[in-house]
Amino acid sequence: MIDSLILQQGSGWRAQAEVFDEIFFVFLALGTLVGVVVVAYTLWNAYKYRDDGGEPKDDFDAPVVGELPTGQGGPKAKKLFLSFGLSAIVVISLVVYAYGLLLYVEEGPDTDGEGDIEIVVEGYQFGWDYLYPNGHTETNELVVPADARIDLAVTSRDVWHNFGSSELRFKADSIPGETAHTWFSVSSEEVEAQGGEATFLVECFELCGSGHSAMDGQITVLPQDEWEEWYEGTQTDDEDDDNDTDNDDGNGDEGGD
Amino acid sequence: MADLPPTTSVRRWLVTTNHKDIGILYTITALFFLLFGGVLALLIRLQLWDPANQVMSGLAYNEAVTAHGLIMVFWFLSPFAFGFANYFVPLQIGADDLAFPRLNALSYWMYLFSGVLLGISFFQGGTLDAGWTMYAPLNVPMYTPSIGSTGAVLALFMFVVGVTASTVNFLTSIHHSRAEGMGLMDMPMFTWSILATVWMMLFAFAALLAVGLILASDRVLGSVYFSATEGGSLLWGHLFWFFGHPEVYIVFFPALGVMLELFQTFSGRRLVGRKWVIISICLISVQSFLVWMHHMFLTTINLEIKTLMMATTIGISLPFDLLVFALIYTLIKGRIQFTTPFLFAFGALLLFILGGITGVFLGAIVLDYEFRGTYWVVAHFHYVMFGGATALFGGAYYWFPKMTGKMYDEFLGKVHFVVFFIGFNAVYFSMFLAWETPRRVYEYNPAFQGMHQAGTIGAFLLGASFFIMFYNFAKSYVSGPDAGDNPWDYSRTAEWAISSPPPLENWPNRPSYASGKLEFVKDYVPDGGPAVKADEDGNAVTDGGDSHSEHIRNYPYWDKHPSHASIWPILLSLATGIMLLGLSGFNNSTEFHFGDSVSQFSVEVLNPVYPTLTVLGLLGLIWAGWKWGAEDFYAPPSEFGERWPFEGVEKVKLGMWFFLASDVIVFGAFISAAVFIRWNAGWMSWEPIPASLPGLINTFVLLTSSFTVILALVAAHRQHRTGLLASIGATMLLGFTFLAVKAWEWWEKIYVDGVYLATVPEGYSAIQASVYFVTTGLHAVHVIGGLLIAMFLFVRAYRGAYMEDGRPVEYFGLYWHFVDIVWVFLFPLFYLF
Repeated sequence: MIDSLILQQGSGWRAQAEVFDEIFFVFLALGTLVGVVVVAYTLWNAYKYRDDGGEPKDDFDAPVVGELPTGQGGPKAKKLFLSFGLSAIVVISLVVYAYGLLLYVEEGPDTDGEGDIEIVVEGYQFGWDYLYPNGHTETNELVVPADARIDLAVTSRDVWHNFGSSELRFKADSIPGETAHTWFSVSSEEVEAQGGEATFLVECFELCGSGHSAMDGQITVLPQDEWEEWYEGTQTDDEDDDNDTDNDDGNGDEGGD
Repeated sequence: MADLPPTTSVRRWLVTTNHKDIGILYTITALFFLLFGGVLALLIRLQLWDPANQVMSGLAYNEAVTAHGLIMVFWFLSPFAFGFANYFVPLQIGADDLAFPRLNALSYWMYLFSGVLLGISFFQGGTLDAGWTMYAPLNVPMYTPSIGSTGAVLALFMFVVGVTASTVNFLTSIHHSRAEGMGLMDMPMFTWSILATVWMMLFAFAALLAVGLILASDRVLGSVYFSATEGGSLLWGHLFWFFGHPEVYIVFFPALGVMLELFQTFSGRRLVGRKWVIISICLISVQSFLVWMHHMFLTTINLEIKTLMMATTIGISLPFDLLVFALIYTLIKGRIQFTTPFLFAFGALLLFILGGITGVFLGAIVLDYEFRGTYWVVAHFHYVMFGGATALFGGAYYWFPKMTGKMYDEFLGKVHFVVFFIGFNAVYFSMFLAWETPRRVYEYNPAFQGMHQAGTIGAFLLGASFFIMFYNFAKSYVSGPDAGDNPWDYSRTAEWAISSPPPLENWPNRPSYASGKLEFVKDYVPDGGPAVKADEDGNAVTDGGDSHSEHIRNYPYWDKHPSHASIWPILLSLATGIMLLGLSGFNNSTEFHFGDSVSQFSVEVLNPVYPTLTVLGLLGLIWAGWKWGAEDFYAPPSEFGERWPFEGVEKVKLGMWFFLASDVIVFGAFISAAVFIRWNAGWMSWEPIPASLPGLINTFVLLTSSFTVILALVAAHRQHRTGLLASIGATMLLGFTFLAVKAWEWWEKIYVDGVYLATVPEGYSAIQASVYFVTTGLHAVHVIGGLLIAMFLFVRAYRGAYMEDGRPVEYFGLYWHFVDIVWVFLFPLFYLF
């Protein structure tokens, strides 16, 4: 599934999913390597130095009850620092490497601003409302164009939710009184590959009440021209949605009771 | 003072204050909660068997998830470890008991009754269903309205009170009661890990106590902290994780301590790089308070702070690397005996390595963005916390012979380990493979069904493995072979130098490490005087009046036998439990009508049960507290102890300082909460609610009362009874004046301005009213508590007490000064700016 999401854009953008997959792969490879080496080394030593019932070696200095602890120094302590140093280098270089990519994810791809769209996502028990720049509101299904950078401003009108899509590898906390920002983009190739209309599952990643498990939404990605056509059409049926939003907002401000 | 009945009597277990008895009570109770939390875990796993399957409703599932987390983290992991800590820390440091035996019993009974409260909460319309992290505002009554939700919050609060008492007790014991010749660096590693744990607990649990108090206030009194859009949700996040991250190490360190002991005992080798291991442990304890925001990477925290938190997070992983390597290298060239305890400790290391590596993934923010709220996190923390706890089961097998005098069945022990280890990895490794599943959902992507089913099978295997342990322990206790004093070939620590189980007062003679190894020395006890050191012939040695012997001579009851029984800890805890049970439903069963003036104030009782319980519990609490204070209970300080860096500080005073340090954090959290909320609301948009003049008057009143407390101490020293009564009386009078001014101030706010907790007229904000009433209210509660103690002192002084021993007056003075100093911070914050 992940492999099919080649979201590379013509202008050299990288989607969050791609960045994540790269870092995840590097961490997984190194983590597995380190884990296997350390665990194998531990097991091997545990086996090698098992008590086989034979006579203790000459340099074996058995502890006695009531001694004040001294600990071991010598060559082992040097080895301790060597291993510690090595592990520190691995961990720190991994994180420095990942940090470079974090800056990209935080900023988002550089665009000329044309075609970008910012949508306000408001979580509620148990669904999502999307407010488009033109004032149109959708519930649960987010319809966006391909090949554009979609900026999300995520908030909540009741409790703490988390808006995210595992397939697109983005997530943002949805907190009352706060606005968190994230972005995503889907290439037209991907939309083509899914048959002219790509859909992605949205889930809530923070426990928010009895309906948390089923708090799913959907992102629908249309080719640019189709989306524009759809967006034009939203202007006409605006009024009903606006009324809904007002009512909901009224409910959302009950914190002061 | 009651006599201690034999262990076969039920009464023994209700009144005992002996650290070994209480250790056993903790261990058994914790295992009960393991079963409780385990059954909930199995319910969760059953629900996950099929993505469409519903064993429980959505609400019930959330309750199961929440209670499972709360029970395992709070009521199982730490208390299980502290069962061993209770039993073995005093033995390992050569003490007769913990510093405050009655307080220790109180901690246990608070723990037990808080667990009972949590159990009851299931039947109060359903327990809390907001997750163990209890994110705001899901944790306020608007979203979790059941009485049981409040019950669970109050149960947690009560648990934390017990923990705080226990923390003060362990800190005082370890810093005050070590045997002669045992410096801090000489302590066994298990005791070291407990010392680091309790230092973290002192500050972390104080933060939890504060956040629990604020939440209880939101739920019971109706303040609006956590529903406030002025940062209420983030406030919870910060305060909870400021506690929550150290908590991870608080539950892991005791297990690490067991690993460090067992790796040495069962390899016959001494710890590699012991000094650096201790330094790492200390570093982690400090660093644990600097990483909490890595739990909040996806909130609106800015990039700079996130980067800082990422750096500190990586920083804290490094000392852990050293600990792991030290454990591994200790084995080399040893004679490793694969007994059951070692298998569990060794298994714990392997599990922890996996938990640690997957934790590094979470430290990289980009990966964390994706892992947040998924099974990756669930799998990771189970590998770390429960993986660590694996070593605690090793500790149970290791110390079973010492605690019971009987040997467990080695074969059954190994079977337990194998089943446990397979089950553990089946349930938690499958979570890594299905990591894209969001946490706490049961309607998941069917693609992961196979993994979740494997996890469910593993969970049942894991659960079943514990019955092998229970059977093993029960069978061995009844008919196992005698274990002898020291069943292990390479044990080192002092608990193995005495009989199994150890006698009530632990030692044949006074333990001492003065010669470099454990010896039991006979002290010379002159008639009518405290013990003094004796030379080899048994003659008294005078070493020039060291400061501690002075303390002993000042102890007026030195010639008494130490006490081991008191009924007041259990009664005090029971009363607290009843009061909190009452409070859980208080809000739902009463309605307060303020009217237009005080004469119109009325309380309408809709349901008398909860208010009655509240009042009964409160009265019982005051009564038991009074009896506790008046009880003649003798717990002598150890006579020749090592107590760096607190030499010359008397035991109770040291305990008082530790308690006040935790109270500093409690008020610190309240003040931080006030500042944080105000910052989010716009600092300049708030004008002080009360007038500054009454606040200024009260400042002078309190400062004067600090002076009269000092006069009381002087009078006690001079054995001047009238002067003592007059100065305590003056302090009380000033305290009541303070409360009267405060009452007038609140009356004016409520009846003239119409400002109350969450109901405010135009021009005020509800959250500001909440912050003002709750913060100054907490201070007022401290003043009232101080006045109750002052009254107690006054009555006792009237009857002639404190003439020989003025220390209670001195310690009350410390508390009273602290309460005054807090006011000095509150006054500008709420009255001036």
